[in-house]
Amino acid sequence: MTAGPTITPLSARVRRVTRRFAEVVCPPGMRAHHRTDRVLAEFELMLGALAPTARKALGMAFVALDQGARLYPRSRGRRFTRLDDQAAEAYIRALLTRRGLVARVVQRLKGFVVMCYYELPTVQREIGYDPAPYIAAVSRRRLESYGPEIRAGEAAVTSVKVRPDQSRRGGEQMSKGGEQLGGGGE
Amino acid sequence: MSIPSGITTAADVGGDVRLECGAVIVGSGAGGATMAAELAEAGVDVVVIEEGGYHPTGSFTAESARALRTLYRDGGGGLTVGRPWVMFAEGRCVGGSTVVNGGMSWRTPVQVLDRWSAQEGVRAITEQDMEPYFARAEARHSVGLQDPETIGRDSELLKAGAAAKGWSLVPNRRNQLHCAGTNNCLSGCPTGAKRSMLVTSVPHALALGARLFADCRVERVTRDRGAATGVTGYFVRPGGGRGPRLTVRAAAVIVAGGAIQTPALLARSGLRSASGQLGRNLSLHPNANVTAFFDSDVTGWHGVHQAFQIREFMAEGLILTADNLPPPMLAAVMPAYGRELGELMADYNRVVTAGPLVTDSGAGRVRNIPGLGTQVFYRLADAVAARLVRGVELTAEALFAAGARRVLLPFDGAPAVRSPGELRDLLARPVPKRSIQVYSIHLMGTARMSEGPRRGVTDSYGAFHGVPGLVVADASLFPGPTGINPMETVIALAMRNAQRLIEQRDRYGI
Repeated sequence: MTAGPTITPLSARVRRVTRRFAEVVCPPGMRAHHRTDRVLAEFELMLGALAPTARKALGMAFVALDQGARLYPRSRGRRFTRLDDQAAEAYIRALLTRRGLVARVVQRLKGFVVMCYYELPTVQREIGYDPAPYIAAVSRRRLESYGPEIRAGEAAVTSVKVRPDQSRRGGEQMSKGGEQLGGGGE
Repeated sequence: MSIPSGITTAADVGGDVRLECGAVIVGSGAGGATMAAELAEAGVDVVVIEEGGYHPTGSFTAESARALRTLYRDGGGGLTVGRPWVMFAEGRCVGGSTVVNGGMSWRTPVQVLDRWSAQEGVRAITEQDMEPYFARAEARHSVGLQDPETIGRDSELLKAGAAAKGWSLVPNRRNQLHCAGTNNCLSGCPTGAKRSMLVTSVPHALALGARLFADCRVERVTRDRGAATGVTGYFVRPGGGRGPRLTVRAAAVIVAGGAIQTPALLARSGLRSASGQLGRNLSLHPNANVTAFFDSDVTGWHGVHQAFQIREFMAEGLILTADNLPPPMLAAVMPAYGRELGELMADYNRVVTAGPLVTDSGAGRVRNIPGLGTQVFYRLADAVAARLVRGVELTAEALFAAGARRVLLPFDGAPAVRSPGELRDLLARPVPKRSIQVYSIHLMGTARMSEGPRRGVTDSYGAFHGVPGLVVADASLFPGPTGINPMETVIALAMRNAQRLIEQRDRYGI
């Protein structure tokens, strides 16, 4: 099986902005239950799956969000990471209620961060979403109800032969520098 | 978990790999895997190259962010350039998008096939011509209706809403072998009941001797004297780094990377279509999500999503369906943050998400931009935007008719609406196109079939005009949107085009 994407650590600067941003856009439970680091860890994992250009753009967007706060009247020239909770929340609200590109970018950042928050199993359980036991139960029910038909259907996939009238094959393998491993079935 | 015989991943490779085969297939989704199975059945020596990883059924869980990271290209976060942005997702794993789609399996509507024939002169594409391929596709992938015990309450509510409005509705047809109703389609089916390519055509082809190389990105289609001769690429290391090189020489090169990656690869390889249409005519069936809150428990994740489609407005290019989103994805699209988001999400189990699938007009384009890679440009036409807004309105009406107390619309800045009257009042004013939150999972049309080399990229059977030995086998081929879930069309066309290849095997040298 293929390994998943690796963690892409945030730079210290982007990490600071992301943390502050997460504190504003995620529900209060994140700070109250000390979940910020876990959200950031999810975020870094997600970052590793993005295209390099998207990763770079995301970092730049956070830096712009941080510095852009200086232009926001209530910030009195401070960066986003230096704003108190009320001012930080007001700044984000002001950005999100605008129309156009800036709002879209901030919405996207918000979507990305809150997705990481709601990926945490504890948070999911708090809102009544706990799919693993449900999946296990209905998977059992499926096998109990339709087991023979399922097994026959699955077996049919690999019990195939080359059509009798077709015997010719293409070229043979030329050479292989790497080793090829094969195992059993799935 | 062990890896089936015939699959090689990046972890298995220590040095450069050189191969020769009858047919090399780029991509293992609906088109590529089907081609592989069909050609392998005919005795062709097949090599399949898949950029994504090999993730077996036993590895699938309900962790949606994990699925986005491992099964989707770029974490499922594709974005078009244009106003509004359209978010789109492409599968990138062994089995391609069939591993992460909803599994809807519908034959191409007759009027669509007739249009393709009339407009582009596509041969052998009447309903009668296609019937045996649809039948074969449906048999291989166990296409049928859901067992009743697996249908979720969210779908039942949409059905009740449609009934209250007097709208026609059909049960969805899926490629499933007694689906358990885990509602985990978008993160990979954890039971294997969804008969994606991962559990059907891929193992079918492997059992017949095909070889599949996962974690391998194809950079170029190689040519000699104008004819396609193979592909070159490299294995992708965890983290995205370049690993050993792969070189494949083949008598036939079949490109099936999907409507974004296929034209990107062909253009990157220096291939041009005399029609100038390579990469153009992108359709994407724009979607938008309506979120409705009910007083009573829905628990939409108990049972399969999209069990029904409202077909009342199909003639207008609209299909409506309920598509339960897991919490991370729903939270990402909610028009709220902070405390308000927490309050909305606390009602997660009382939510139904639903929306329209809209037939569009092929206004997009795929281009490779130096320094930025492959970019997708898409302009939401005014008529399509209006259709999308109407689809949102109709969806909301159905949900109100089913008892929804509050509905959130996918328009920036739109307030929650609490009644059909409020909905009408709100939509009496024009909805700015740029404010619509649009997403897509159906990408089509960027290497369209046409018998005329000046109009299309390929001929009626997917053979690239002017490049012997090169065939396209995915939704890029569509001369226009299907207006319906496109997977079965891709599979049936791949079967039909594979048959053509086999009939002409002497010409191709396979």
